[in-house]
Amino acid sequence: MKNIVFIVNLKDVKKPNRSNPYQYSINSWKSWCDKNNCELMVLEDRIYEENFMNANWHKLFIFKLLDIDYDQVLIADADTIIHPDAPNVFEQTDHKFSVVHNYGSYDWICRSIENYKKHFFPDIEIPLEKYFNSGIIICNKKHEEFYDKIIDFYSDNGNNLVKLQEAYGVGTDQPILNFFVQQENIDCNYLPYEWNMQDMVRTEILNDRFTFTKIGWIYHFNGIPNNQNSDLSYHWMKKTYEYLYG
Amino acid sequence: MKNVIFWVGVKNQTYSEKYGGWEWMDISRKTWEYWCEKHDVIFFPFEKPLDEDLVKYRINWQKSIYCFDLLDEAGIDYDQIFLVDATCMAKWDMPNVFELTDNKFTAWRETDNLNWVYDSVRGYEDFFCYELDIQKYFSSGVIIFNKSHKDIFLEFKDLYLNNVDKFVELQDKIVRKGTEQTPLNYWLQKNEVEMNLDLPFTYKLTHIHRKEMFGNNWQLKEDDTPYFIKYGKNWVFNGINKDQRTNTMKQVWNLVKHNYVKEQNIDLLLDSLNEDKHTNPHTTSDKFKSDVWDFFKDFNDQVCIEFGTHKGQTTKILSYCFKHVYTVNRNLQSFATAKMLNIGIENITYVPFDLYTEQELGVEKSNVFMIDAGHKYPEVIHDIDRCIRMSADGDSYIIFDDYGLNTHEENVKVAVDESIDKNKIEIVKKIGYQKGHEFAHKFLKDSEGLICRIVK
Repeated sequence: MKNIVFIVNLKDVKKPNRSNPYQYSINSWKSWCDKNNCELMVLEDRIYEENFMNANWHKLFIFKLLDIDYDQVLIADADTIIHPDAPNVFEQTDHKFSVVHNYGSYDWICRSIENYKKHFFPDIEIPLEKYFNSGIIICNKKHEEFYDKIIDFYSDNGNNLVKLQEAYGVGTDQPILNFFVQQENIDCNYLPYEWNMQDMVRTEILNDRFTFTKIGWIYHFNGIPNNQNSDLSYHWMKKTYEYLYG
Repeated sequence: MKNVIFWVGVKNQTYSEKYGGWEWMDISRKTWEYWCEKHDVIFFPFEKPLDEDLVKYRINWQKSIYCFDLLDEAGIDYDQIFLVDATCMAKWDMPNVFELTDNKFTAWRETDNLNWVYDSVRGYEDFFCYELDIQKYFSSGVIIFNKSHKDIFLEFKDLYLNNVDKFVELQDKIVRKGTEQTPLNYWLQKNEVEMNLDLPFTYKLTHIHRKEMFGNNWQLKEDDTPYFIKYGKNWVFNGINKDQRTNTMKQVWNLVKHNYVKEQNIDLLLDSLNEDKHTNPHTTSDKFKSDVWDFFKDFNDQVCIEFGTHKGQTTKILSYCFKHVYTVNRNLQSFATAKMLNIGIENITYVPFDLYTEQELGVEKSNVFMIDAGHKYPEVIHDIDRCIRMSADGDSYIIFDDYGLNTHEENVKVAVDESIDKNKIEIVKKIGYQKGHEFAHKFLKDSEGLICRIVK
C-alpha cells in the first residue's frame, strides 16, 4: 500500500497570480514522491465554485477523491517546497494525525482562535500551543470520518463561513480543522518546525544564503511581507526550486 | 528537599544606562518571589558575581558554571532547579512547572531567530567537533535541571575554565552570537543528556514583540488584555530595546500587580487603579472606594450587582469585597477595558444588558447594588426600583455615586431623595468626599456618594 501526497492546485479568480509558483511546489513533491515510493495526486478541477468554497477547503475532499488503496496521506499546501533529501516523513507519524504547530504572528493566530470560537465553537478550547498550521497534514484511513464531519459542517454553514472569512481574514479551513481536532479528541502527533517551516521571514531564515534549506525539510512560503500579487512567493519558490533541484 | 528558583539578577552599574536602569529586575523578582511562596519553592537570587572580571566571566557563564557551587555553599538541599533570568516575569497562576519535567533536563526550543541560532551553532562547530541537532537547540535563559545533572555542569565549568581565552575570543570576536547558550547546547548534546523539550512554549514566552503578542483582539473588541498576558505563563522580555525593558515591564506590572498579593488591602488596590475622580470624572474617587471597602470588606459571602461599568475600577474594589460581582453595561467597549484592568480576577461576570427596558436582568438576586449607570432622573428611579425587585432576603444595600455632584443635582439627587422620602430606601452612610469638595470644574453640594438600605 502506497502513501499519497495530495496537493490542491486551483486557479484563484480573486487572486489570479497566487497559483503562479505552484508548479515549483508540485515538481518538488513529485521528485520526492518518486524517491520515496509515494504517489502524488494533484487536484486541478474545482468541486465547488470559488464564491462558495475557496481552494484551501478543497483539501478536505481527499478521502472522497482517492480511488486507490493507500496507507497514509500527506496533504500539502501548494506554496510549499520539500527538500530532495528530506527523510520519509510518513515514518515519523506513528500513524497519528500529524501536524506542525502554527508559528508566526500570534496576533493572527489568537484572533483566529477567538473569532471562530465566538461565532462557531463557544464551548471548545484550543490551547495556543496546540494550534497547528494546516499547510502540512498527514492523516490516514481512520480520519476519513473526521473529514466527512468537517465537510458536513461546511455544507451546513458554508455561507456564514465565507462571510466570516471575509470579515476577519483569519484563515479558512485551518481554524475549523483545529476546532474539530479538539472537539473530536483527535490524537495528534506534533512534528517539529522543520516539517512545515512557516513564516520564514519572521524567523530570519528566508535569505540569499538559503539558510532555511540547511535547517529543515519543508519550506512554506507564507507570511512574506509586502507580497503584492504573490510576486515574492514566486520569486522565492522559483529560486529555491532551482537551488535545490537544479 | 525543595525545588529552587535560581534567579539571575546581577545589577552591573557599568551598564546601568545601557539597560535603562535595573528597575525591571526588581519587578521580575517580585513575581518569582510570589510564585515561590505559593508553590513552596526556595527563591535563590544570584545577585553578586563570583568573579569580578565580567569580560572573562560573563554573568551568563557564571550562572551556569557556579550554580551548583552557590547552592551547595548556601547549604540548600535542593531537588530540582529552575534557572531563570531577571528578564522573566512569572504569571501569578503559572502552574507548578516542576511537576511537568518528568525529572529530566527541561528546556524550550529556540525558534525565534533561527538564522542567529544557525550561525551560532556553526560558529562553535569546530571547537566541539560535533554535529549539533538544531531541532534540540534550546534557550538557556529558562532551564530546569536537578542533582543528577551536577556532574555535567561541573564538567562544563572545567571546560570553560580550561579554555576561557578561547571561549572569550569566539564569543566576542569570531562568532559573536551569544555567550554560554550555544556551548551549553553542545555540551549537553555531546554528553547525551536526556532532555524534555516538549513543554508548551508559553512557559518561555520570548520575543513577545516578534510574535506580535503585545496587542489584543482588535477585531472582536471584547477584551483589551494583551495576548501575552492571557496566554503566556512565563513572560520573557527579550528581543526589545534594552533601554525599554524597565518601561515595558513597569507597564505590565501596573496592569497585573493586584494578582501578586497574598492579603489584599485598599491601598494596594487603589495603587493598581492609577486614577480617581480628580483626573477622570467618570470614575469614583479613591475616598469613595475606600469608604466602600471599609463598609463592605467583610461581605465576602454575598453577591453585588453593579449598574454601569466604566473602566472596571470600582468593579475591582467590589470584586475583593464580595463573593461575586455582576457588572452590567450596555456599551461593550467598557467591558473590554474593564477586563484588562481586572485580569486574573475570576469572580466578575460582565453582563451586556440595557437597564432601561422592562426586561428583567437574568442574574441571581443580591443584597448589594451599586448604581452608577444612567444619571437622568427616570433612569435612577428605574434602577432603584429594579434593585428593590432584585433584592434577596435580609438587609440589602444600594450604593449611589454622584449623589452630591452639582452637575447631577436635578437628577441623581432628586431621584434618591424622593425614594428616601417615599420610604423605599433609607440613608446608612454618606461616603466619598463631602460638600464643598471640587473635582476639576465640578463641585459637591452634598456627599459624593451614599450607602442606603432598602426598606422592607
